Amino acid sequence: MSLKKLCAVAIAAAIPLSIPAIANAQGAKAEVIHWWTSGGESAAVKTLADAYRSAGGIWVDTAVALGEQARSVAINRIVGGNPSTAAQFNTSKQFLDLVEQGMLNPIDEVALRDGWDKFLPETIINAVKVKGHYYAAPVNIHMPAWIWTSKAAFKQAGIAAEPRTMDELFAALDKLKAAGLVPLAHGGQSWQDNIVFTAVLTNVGGRDLYLKVLRDRDAKAIQSEAFKSVLLTFKRLQGYVDKGSPGRNWNDATAMLIAGKAGVQFMGDWAKGEFALAHKEAGRDYGCIAGFGPAAPYIIQGDVLVFPKTSNAEQIKAQKLLATVVTAPATQVAFSAKKGSIPIRTDVDSSKMDICAQQGIAIMKDKTRQLGNGEIYLNPDQNGALSDILTNYWNRNIPVEKVQRDIAAALRN
Amino acid sequence: MQLLCAIERSRAVSATTSVTARRRNAPWAALVPMALTVLVAYLGTTLWSLRVSLTSSRTFPNDDFVGLAQYQRLFENERWILALQNLAVYGVLFILACMVVGFLLAVFIDQKVRGEGALRTIFLYPYAMSFVATGLVWQWVLNPGDGMQRAFRQMGWESFTFEWIIEQDRVIYTVVIAAVWQASGLVMALMLAGLRGIDEDIWKATRIDGIPPWRVYVSIVLPMLKSTVATVFVLLSTGVVKVFDSVVAMTQGGPGTASDVPAKFIMDHLFGRANIALASAGSIVLLLMVIALVLPLMIARNKTSGGGGHA
Amino acid sequence: MKAARIGVYAFLIFAALFFLAPLYIMVVTSLKTMEEIRLGNLFALPQGLNFDAWRAAWSEACTGVSCEGVRGGFWNSVLIVVPSTLLPILIGAVNGYALSFWRPRGANVLFAALMLGAFIPVQVMVYPLVKVLAAVGLFSSLSGIVAIHIIFSMPVMTLLFRNYYAAIPMELFNAARIDGGGFWRIFAQLMLPMSTPIVIVAAIMQITGVWNDYILGLVFAGRDNLPMTVQLNNVINTTTGERLYNVNMAATILTSLVPLLVYFVSGRWFVRGIAAGAVKG
Repeated sequence: MSLKKLCAVAIAAAIPLSIPAIANAQGAKAEVIHWWTSGGESAAVKTLADAYRSAGGIWVDTAVALGEQARSVAINRIVGGNPSTAAQFNTSKQFLDLVEQGMLNPIDEVALRDGWDKFLPETIINAVKVKGHYYAAPVNIHMPAWIWTSKAAFKQAGIAAEPRTMDELFAALDKLKAAGLVPLAHGGQSWQDNIVFTAVLTNVGGRDLYLKVLRDRDAKAIQSEAFKSVLLTFKRLQGYVDKGSPGRNWNDATAMLIAGKAGVQFMGDWAKGEFALAHKEAGRDYGCIAGFGPAAPYIIQGDVLVFPKTSNAEQIKAQKLLATVVTAPATQVAFSAKKGSIPIRTDVDSSKMDICAQQGIAIMKDKTRQLGNGEIYLNPDQNGALSDILTNYWNRNIPVEKVQRDIAAALRN
Repeated sequence: MQLLCAIERSRAVSATTSVTARRRNAPWAALVPMALTVLVAYLGTTLWSLRVSLTSSRTFPNDDFVGLAQYQRLFENERWILALQNLAVYGVLFILACMVVGFLLAVFIDQKVRGEGALRTIFLYPYAMSFVATGLVWQWVLNPGDGMQRAFRQMGWESFTFEWIIEQDRVIYTVVIAAVWQASGLVMALMLAGLRGIDEDIWKATRIDGIPPWRVYVSIVLPMLKSTVATVFVLLSTGVVKVFDSVVAMTQGGPGTASDVPAKFIMDHLFGRANIALASAGSIVLLLMVIALVLPLMIARNKTSGGGGHA
Repeated sequence: MKAARIGVYAFLIFAALFFLAPLYIMVVTSLKTMEEIRLGNLFALPQGLNFDAWRAAWSEACTGVSCEGVRGGFWNSVLIVVPSTLLPILIGAVNGYALSFWRPRGANVLFAALMLGAFIPVQVMVYPLVKVLAAVGLFSSLSGIVAIHIIFSMPVMTLLFRNYYAAIPMELFNAARIDGGGFWRIFAQLMLPMSTPIVIVAAIMQITGVWNDYILGLVFAGRDNLPMTVQLNNVINTTTGERLYNVNMAATILTSLVPLLVYFVSGRWFVRGIAAGAVKG
């Protein structure tokens, strides 16, 4: 398509902006590589595409299922000299190597102009800001360690109120077991085991231990009694899953809650998508617990867009426009409402979001409860090694002291 | 007759000596694509992998040199050791089962049965399907809660238990089952063709001699299918070493890491864990193991059959 | 002999049931609604014949911003498969012919190295090949993906043809040489016409392999040439999104129809093909 035609289309489709306009942004073509491929995710990424189009840009979609695949495609395109305009990564250390190799364009101009330092949570700033420059535009915040409960199953088991402590959770699980239901619906894949571990570490170990283990990788903390107790609680939960758990997709575990066959699941806030698909409503059919106690940490994980290096002026304009559009309040709410996440900024109108999301946004306002996911503190290799140890501990009978030693060794370098 | 032919041949050869020089280059020219592919694509990338495995590269290759540190880390890694063990078990079982099942299917289909075309398609269709979905179906079927076990119990066989897929020591067998389901159709087709190439007269002769059929197959037919078997063996072996899709689709390497295989270990570290040095070390070790196993076979075959081509 | 016949049929029918079971589950799942699937009765027949999943898989399933099912990649797959079948077969045939009859010095070493290359997991070679293709300007293009398919299929294709030609009597070749035939003359006029059977076999294997290829097409084909398998994977695979199993099953069956059709049509050739001595000793 000629530039003229591009512009004609862009003008025809343009709607008055409520976002600070960048001069000559019309027709800015942006190819975005991402892994938002399912129905709900597609609706979410459409909000980004629509917002970008409204701002005068042209969204070229390159969707590749599964994060690892999508990121590897993005990296290979950069290496092959044919980079996309933007690529989805996680809020993590995944793109640090790209920064180190000088393969990303910083977006300092947008970050400084829009005042990212003012409204972004510190955890996210630390992830997107490398050596003083901003290399990624945060898109959303997911919380991986929500505790979901099935109202129907709880009713059948005679559990009156939602558990407010870990002990009450175990009591509820026992009641579910006695009622002949599956206490804990779990999909035995290593990343899901990791989620259960994260939930236990935050709720039983607490913020300080969490940071000492995952951020500081302090060997003393890992070998401590407190951490041992976390691991033992983690393993204890395994006793409440059903036999068919290994390898199960997380959706099938949520389906067990939806059908009232199981009572509890540890899963991220994206689970709301499955509930919604089955016409279940938060508060009425299922409950969502962010954590136990008023100080329970809220785990932050999420998606960002990075911008492969280019000196093409048109592309740079597109990148800046993307970064602006994606972080704008209206886009943030629209995207998160469809995605099941919460916006990266709390200065938004969250009244139309579901009660779980509103709960999350309220918690996020308390800075002392913000905590990053493992992948924010550990590099992919360390995170993977930890994951291997945890999933083996979950599935096999290994003495907890050995697990502690292995974790200390894996996180040492 | 032989002598005349030989004389003719030598006369013809000497007559063409003048153009031989020009013609001698033709085979080499024709093999240029192959040479390029081997040198650049295969040898080149292997050398590159070797170089990277001696560094501390993460997402991108870097130029340092850490000696054999990655290899050391590799062999201190429980998951890698388990993956190698799984590969050995998987390899032996898969190749054996595919050969036996494929051969049996071919033999039985060759008995002039009705509906041969339909049967052939039934046995071949798994090969046409993407393992991403079929692997999931197998996972469902073998799942203790919802799959085959439940179905059999509901039908009345109360004590039927088949929980291999959740057992640490047995899960790799379930991957074998699904993989055999997928590949034996191809083996069957190749074997069937080999069988069809055997002269009718041989069958007639054995019938006259009164040799029992099974004996015919074992002592006469199988030796005649030596080349088919060799080709099938090579094809299956490449599949074994690279096995990845079936494991990912069925068990994701689990429960835990119980059904991990080297290719999955390598892939995880190549992309997800951004550690291409460790992944490269793994692939070099895998290649060395293949060379160690295959090279003796190739040399032996070269010696006995005179080069595999013509003597 | 009756008992033996019954035994043969019994074995074949039992085997057929084993082979068909997953297909049964796939078809049945594709005709159910998600509510039915959630109930978990794997082998149960669907309550109604619900073809929504099939329609969705073909033209409505979401694969990113666009929700147009798997049909988008169909022609791309065709455009990739045709040259990626013809060229590797041709090159494999020439290689096998040269290796088997002419046997230039050192060619066997080259062949051994080629066969060893067949054991290397594909993904390991991706990064260096990306750089090589980028250097010659073929990265992210149709020619690039065809070149990649040629590279990765060369071992098997060469093996097939080499072993096939090994079964053809050397005398035939010598006679042709005496008659004054050169390398290419003999190949074109004598060997190629005799190769129909093995060409069919190779075509079937190659079409299946290339049509179902995902990772190579994803990395090397370029955004505008992405094959159907990419859409298929986008429909089926997700980390945190919902999974519509009925659509996934329908999409998988739809995508596999082309190789299945090829088997069905050339099934006779396939068997008769190798029967003519393709893989004979």
